[in-house]
Amino acid sequence: MKQENRINVLILTTTILLTLIGLLMVSSSSQIWAEFKYDNKYHYFWRQLVFAGVGIVGMLIIAKINYQFYKTHAAKIFIGVLFLLIIVLIPGIGIVRGGARSWIGVGTFSIQPSEFMKIACIILVSKYLADYYKDVKKPISVLSILGIIIGVFGLIMLQPDFGTGLVIIAAVIVMLFISGVNLSYFFYLLLVGLAGITVLIISAPYRLERIFAYLDPWKDPLGSGFQIIQSLYAIAPGGIFGVGFGNSIQKYFYLPEPQTDFIFAIIIEELGFIGGVVILVLYATFFITSLNVSFHAKDLFGKFLALGITTIIFIQFFINIGVVIGLLPVTGITLPFISYGGSSLTVTLLGVGIILNISKYQILE
Amino acid sequence: MIKMNDFIFIMQKRLKLLIVLFSFLVIILIVRLAFVQFFQSDKIIERAYALWSRNIPVEGQRGIIYDRNGKPIVNNKLAPSIGVIPRQIENKEEVARFISEVLEVSYEEAYRHITKKVSVEMIKPEGRKISLEQAKKIIDKNYKGVYIVGDTTRNYLYDDYLAHVLGFVGIDNQGITGIEYIYDDYLMGDSGNSSYYTDAKGGALNQLYGVYEAPTKGMDIYLTIDIDLQILLERVLENTAAKYHPDQILGLMMNPKNGEILAMASYPSFYPENYQDYDQEIYNRNLPIWMSFEPGSTFKVITYSAGLEEGVFKLDDTFYDPGYKMIGSTRIKDWKAGGHGLQSFLEVIQNSCNPGFMEIGERLGKERLFDYIHAYGFGKKTGVDLLGESTGIVFNLDNVGPVELATASFGQGNSVTPIQLVNATSAAINGGVLYQPYVLKEMRMPITNELIYQNKPKMIRRVISEETSKIMQYALESVVAKGTGRNAYIDGYRVGGKTGTAQKAVDGRYLDNNYIVSFIGAAPMNDPELVVYVAIDNPKNVVQYGGVVAAPVVKEILQEALPILGVAKQIDQIEKEYRWGLDVKYYIVPDLIGKKRNELPIQYHYRYQYYGEGNIVKFQSPAPYERVPEGGTIMVYLGRE
Repeated sequence: MKQENRINVLILTTTILLTLIGLLMVSSSSQIWAEFKYDNKYHYFWRQLVFAGVGIVGMLIIAKINYQFYKTHAAKIFIGVLFLLIIVLIPGIGIVRGGARSWIGVGTFSIQPSEFMKIACIILVSKYLADYYKDVKKPISVLSILGIIIGVFGLIMLQPDFGTGLVIIAAVIVMLFISGVNLSYFFYLLLVGLAGITVLIISAPYRLERIFAYLDPWKDPLGSGFQIIQSLYAIAPGGIFGVGFGNSIQKYFYLPEPQTDFIFAIIIEELGFIGGVVILVLYATFFITSLNVSFHAKDLFGKFLALGITTIIFIQFFINIGVVIGLLPVTGITLPFISYGGSSLTVTLLGVGIILNISKYQILE
Repeated sequence: MIKMNDFIFIMQKRLKLLIVLFSFLVIILIVRLAFVQFFQSDKIIERAYALWSRNIPVEGQRGIIYDRNGKPIVNNKLAPSIGVIPRQIENKEEVARFISEVLEVSYEEAYRHITKKVSVEMIKPEGRKISLEQAKKIIDKNYKGVYIVGDTTRNYLYDDYLAHVLGFVGIDNQGITGIEYIYDDYLMGDSGNSSYYTDAKGGALNQLYGVYEAPTKGMDIYLTIDIDLQILLERVLENTAAKYHPDQILGLMMNPKNGEILAMASYPSFYPENYQDYDQEIYNRNLPIWMSFEPGSTFKVITYSAGLEEGVFKLDDTFYDPGYKMIGSTRIKDWKAGGHGLQSFLEVIQNSCNPGFMEIGERLGKERLFDYIHAYGFGKKTGVDLLGESTGIVFNLDNVGPVELATASFGQGNSVTPIQLVNATSAAINGGVLYQPYVLKEMRMPITNELIYQNKPKMIRRVISEETSKIMQYALESVVAKGTGRNAYIDGYRVGGKTGTAQKAVDGRYLDNNYIVSFIGAAPMNDPELVVYVAIDNPKNVVQYGGVVAAPVVKEILQEALPILGVAKQIDQIEKEYRWGLDVKYYIVPDLIGKKRNELPIQYHYRYQYYGEGNIVKFQSPAPYERVPEGGTIMVYLGRE
């Protein structure tokens, strides 16, 4: 048994590569809208460059901070972010963008507390599971974790930001599963979930239609099917090699805000199936390596922390791409590392910083 | 209590499971991506291109309409249209000012078009089908966002000729009446597009070049009409109109052997290109099929052939006409005061003797006469492939008393359309068979000329026997040679026919001094090739008799039409009955060719006119054994041996 003592290079490389690809693609996909809205082709690019710079530097700094720090201050961090999450709801403090009151900030600089809440929740749950692993089979401990998380979900839904809330709940459920909670609990959870969905659908049958609209977007091409249709119009013409970097047509006002939720569609259009597969393989490498870090982490807290952060990133990745290629209904979740967005990029990079730090202390047999 | 190591063991087991799950989910993404890109892509890409392109529609070219001999009657000429993509126009004021100048529209109107919030705006109607000069000005300026589309419009090679049959098209080249309407589906070409790729806000895209999807041409149509005969007919009708100032004139020429319509004209006519300038009554009324009136004596052909077929009289049976006939207590007069006296039944039709026809009708009885009237197609549309045909009115048999039977026998009471009359007369002289008249000969593909559809004569029924039809041919030829139709007599052509003078009835009362005079003629009567019918509605400054007014018109038409159809002159026609001082006598021209000038026979009835030098006759006109009228001239061309 020996300790690694240095950060995992594979995680660092894939992270930086994905971030750079993101920078390039934000630059290409946002140009048309940027020129139209701000009269500056590179408006989004420059901002993303700043976020990426800050994020990578932050990541490298975090990678040097011993992750035990978060265990010690887990409660403080959680309460601090919870405070922000509450005050963001107050009109006048929280800034509304795209119909959601999700931002706090001054001038052009603003942050999304819900993004930070993802990490805060993971830290809190990791600490809880590490400390009380012996009680993990008791219903009371499972229920108390779920209680806190559902409370957070409720707060986030007040903004509303369904996507982020969903990611947090899903990540915590995965953590509970890994911690060895009886599989029967998940069965009950599934039942409760199904019951909830059934109630929602019976009370308003159109919801079912909405949820499954993505399967046949052409049924309502100007309504629920609009975004997915525009996304498919980018993906299909991409072919194997794509139309070439910078040559997307769908970014010409057809796809709304192509630099955020639907950036992967423009990537496929410009770089083709090959480009898409390369990116997916980079992600897969990142996820498998990160889960390996969790596997070999020196203590339970490290294991859960690495697992939680990886899961958060994976769920966002899977849902985002699933939506873009018409596999999942539209939810409004950004693509980690690549989509334009300050809070989401920096939070993701800071999260990777934590994983990198954990990787320093992993034990290899 | 769980031990740390057990816990970690379970956790690691489940972590491995998670790695497998994550990898599996990534593979699902790749598979789905491949599915969208490679299996669904065709349909999606097609829709995507449809989304990116802005189409400026280009009309399909209509098929050409030809006459029976392949001479084009209607084709197309270039007429560009203007379309704009408002988003792409940079200096809206300047372009609006320019367009308002060129198209002669107000500045506000032009500005409204080029600022409209649509992807493509056609400048309608001022920018539709503009002149080539206007189009050139616009092309020269080459403003961004202003596009020229090469539309076409109809080009009428013979001006207003055949207008009622052809009909016309609207601004979108859609058939509105006539052949253009009836065969619109075939004549119409599929429209194409001029495509330009744009972004979602309408701006031009540089990534994709526009494509031009050419419109297709419609099928070409060949009519049974012979344009030369049509020109002849209309020219003669125009002259007649100038002479008699009638309310209207109609003319119809048909091949009696199969129902092909060779020419059809209505006066007044109109220019299809400017149909809006005319009253609806003018362009909607194709008189030969629309007009319905009591035909008068031309109808006697029907009564006469029915009587012959039923054997109620023979040509040499005699009949005495005192100038009237008593039908019960009603005395119905002949058209000739004092009557025609004792005559044969052949003379009855030659003289158009009304009491004679009343007699035939009476002998037939109403059932038999009306059976023939229906068998000849009266009281029912002929089904000709033209728009606006009338049915005519035939008495309901229950309402036919002796008086109605008597008047119907000589052409009063029932009302018929010219095409019914021509078609029925054709049946009477073509061997006895009624055909359905038609104007569509065939349809062909454009460019390749591949035959798509060929119309065939459609026999409806046999009406009379071939023998009876032969007698009818003879009887009608003798009407022209010896009777009321003598003004249609043409030397060398065996013309047959029947006059008609119909009183016009309005609201059940006959008008005074207001007649439709008509003549139906056919030739050659031993094997009729052509039937010509002309009806003149209310001619002025003339005795309103068909024989006086209409017969010479038909004669003029036949005289020129028969050579066009290639019908040869014959010598064994029924000799014209010579009326001293009224009719011209003809003499057979001897063969002079090869004879010496001083040996030519001396003639008193015609003159020689010499041309050329020499002593030997090289050529003569008329040719040997042709005929020359009394007082006429024979041109003799001399030469040396």
